[in-house]
Amino acid sequence: MNTIQLIINGLGTGAFYASIAVGFSLVWGVLNVINMVHGSLVVLGAFLGFFFWKITGLNPVFSVPFVAVSTFLIGATLQSVFINKVVSAPVLTTLTLTFGLDLILYNVMTVYFTASIRRVTTSYGNIDLGSAVVPIDRLYVAIFALLITGILYLVLRMTSIGRAIVAVRMDKTAAALMGIWVKSVYAITFGIGAMMAGVAGAVSTLIYPVTTGLSGAFLLKAFIVCVIGGLGSIPGALFGGLLLGVIESFAGYAIGPQNSLTLALAIMLFVLLVKPTGLMGVKGFD
Amino acid sequence: MKRYVSLISIALLATVSSAMAQEKIKIGSALALTGGLADEGIKQAVAQRMWVRRVNEAGGIQVGDKKLPVELVEYDYQSDGNRAAQITEKLINVDKVSFLLAPYGSGHTKITATVAERYQVPIISCVASSESVFNTGNKYLFGTLASLNSLTDAMAHLFQSKMPNTKRLAILARDDVFPKSVADEAAKSAKALGIDVVYFELYATGTMDQTSALSAMKASKPDWILGTGYNQDLILLRKQMSDIGLTAPIVSMVIGPAVRDFIDGVGPSLAENVTAVTWWHQSQKFTGIGPWRTSADFYNDFKKENKAEPDFVNAACAAAPIAYQAAIEQTKSLDRNKVRDALSHLDIQTFYGRIKFGQNGMNEARDMPILQVQDNEVKVLYPPAVANAELRRVDH
Repeated sequence: MNTIQLIINGLGTGAFYASIAVGFSLVWGVLNVINMVHGSLVVLGAFLGFFFWKITGLNPVFSVPFVAVSTFLIGATLQSVFINKVVSAPVLTTLTLTFGLDLILYNVMTVYFTASIRRVTTSYGNIDLGSAVVPIDRLYVAIFALLITGILYLVLRMTSIGRAIVAVRMDKTAAALMGIWVKSVYAITFGIGAMMAGVAGAVSTLIYPVTTGLSGAFLLKAFIVCVIGGLGSIPGALFGGLLLGVIESFAGYAIGPQNSLTLALAIMLFVLLVKPTGLMGVKGFD
Repeated sequence: MKRYVSLISIALLATVSSAMAQEKIKIGSALALTGGLADEGIKQAVAQRMWVRRVNEAGGIQVGDKKLPVELVEYDYQSDGNRAAQITEKLINVDKVSFLLAPYGSGHTKITATVAERYQVPIISCVASSESVFNTGNKYLFGTLASLNSLTDAMAHLFQSKMPNTKRLAILARDDVFPKSVADEAAKSAKALGIDVVYFELYATGTMDQTSALSAMKASKPDWILGTGYNQDLILLRKQMSDIGLTAPIVSMVIGPAVRDFIDGVGPSLAENVTAVTWWHQSQKFTGIGPWRTSADFYNDFKKENKAEPDFVNAACAAAPIAYQAAIEQTKSLDRNKVRDALSHLDIQTFYGRIKFGQNGMNEARDMPILQVQDNEVKVLYPPAVANAELRRVDH
C-alpha cells in the first residue's frame, strides 16, 4: 500500500469536501435550514466557472470574483423571497421548500445548459515525489478550498457582520434586542452559504466534470461532513472534510470503492450516536 | 324510455371514442430527461421523436387498409427507477398506450418491463444489453442491442492478436446492471484467452473520487485497463488515471469513445488511443426498411437535424420503433398480443442492421465495431469489413 499517495489523494479531495460543506454548515447552524439547494448551487458555480474558461481561456480560478457576487445575490434573493417566509417553521417545512427550489434550479440548469457533460480540459501536470505524485490541478483546488474556508473563518471572527451572524446563531432574540436586524443577517448568511457553494463549484471544474448529475453527490458529501465535523463550526467542517477524504481514500484502496461510501455513512451514524454535536460541533446544534 | 335513450347514447359515445382512439397509434415512453442519466436519456428521446416525425411525414403506419399516425406519449422519470415504474403504469392505465419503449439502461428496463408484463403490453428496449434483464422469462420484452458477451469476446480477441503481450487485465466497474455485466463478461472473455484479471473492483453510483482504487490498480501493473460506467463516471475515471500517472498499453472505456461527449469531456489528449466497443457506427453499411433506407441516410438526416453525429444510442433508439412498425404492418392490427407474437418471429433489415429477436427477446449476436480515438477522430478497428485503422498503444 502506497500510504503517502493515499494520504495525498485523501487530503486533496477532503479539502474540497470541506469547502462545499462550510457554506452548508453555516446556513444550517444560523438559520436551522437544511439547505437542499446547496448541491445545485455548487453545480451552478461550476457552470459559471466552465463558461468563464470557455470564453476567456483563463483558469477558472479567475472566475471566482464574478461567481462569488452572482451566487451571493442568488442566495440572498432566494432567502429573502422564499425561505424567509417559513424560516421559523419546523425544519421539515424549510427542508421541503429548499427541496422544491432545488428541483427548479436543477431543471432550469438542465434545460438551459443541457445535460451534456462538460469538462475544463486544461492540465497542469504532476509533481513527482518518487513514490507518489501530486496532481497540480488538485493542489490548486485544495489550496483554494483551504483559502476560502480560512477567509470565511476570519470574516466571522473579525468583522461586524461576522459577529452579527455569530450572535444570531447563538441567540437570535438577544441579538435582535441588541439592535441586529435578524432578517438581514439571515439573507446575508444564506447569500454567503450560496457564495461558498458557487466558488467551490467554480474551482472544482479543474478536477471534476461539469454536470447537473453531480449535484446530489455534492449535497450528500456536505451533509456527511457537517454531521461528522459538527454544525455551526468552520474548523469542524474543515476537519470533517479532511477526515472524510482520507477515510474514503484508504477505504477505497483496502475494501474497494463500492464500500467506501458505506463506511463513510456508517461513521456518520456512529458520530451521531456517540457525539450528536459532531466531533467539533458547537453545543446547541445537535 | 329516457333510461334506454341514455344507455344508447352512452353505448354510441363509447363506440365513437373507441373508433377515435384507433385513429392514431399511441406509444408510451418513460424517459430520463433529467437526473443522472439525462445525457443518455435525451439522446434516446431525440432519436425516438425523430422516428415519429419521419413516420408521420410519410402518412403514418399502414394498419390494414389505412395509415394511422403515431403519437409518442412521453414523461420524464428523472432517472429514478421507482418513478419509471409509476410512469409506466400511468402510460398503460391512464394514457392507454398500445405499446411501450423502455427507458435507458438495463436496470430501469428491467423495472419497467416487469410492469409491462403484468399488463401484457409489448415493450422494446433500445439501450439494455445485460442478458440477465432478458433471461427472466418476460415474453413481452424485446431489445435491439445484442448480448454483451459477443462484445467483450471480440475485444479480447482483437487486443491479444494485435498485442500478444497483453497478459494482465485490470477492471474498474460501476456497481450497476450494465457496467457490472460488461465487467463480468470481459473478465470471462479474458480468462478464456489466458489473460489474468489482476484487478477487479466495483465503485458505487455517485463516486467522486477514484484515485485510491486507481492507486491499487496501478500497483497491479496491468497491460489492459477496462473502465465501465456511464459518461460522467468515465470522464472522471480517465482524468483521475492521468492525475495519479496510471496508464497501460491498452485503455478501454465502455462505452466512452462511442459517444462524442466522452471525447469532448476528457479532451483530445486524454481521449487519444482509448478504445471502446459499440453496437453501431456510421461506417457500417446497412440497408433496410423504415424511414431511413441506409445507415448513411440515417447519419445524414440526424446530422442535418441535430447538428451532431449520431452514436449507437441514437441509432438503436431510432431502430427500436421500426420493429413495431414492421410488426404492426405484418399483423395489420394494434392488438398487443398479435404484435407481440409478430415481434417474436420478426426478422428484418434496417439502417441499424438486422433485427431478429432471439428466444429471450434480445437481438441476436453479430459483429460489433471496436473503436479507437486516433488524432481526435473515432476510427474503427473491427470488424475487418469496415476497419479503417490499426490498434495503437496508449502512451500516457
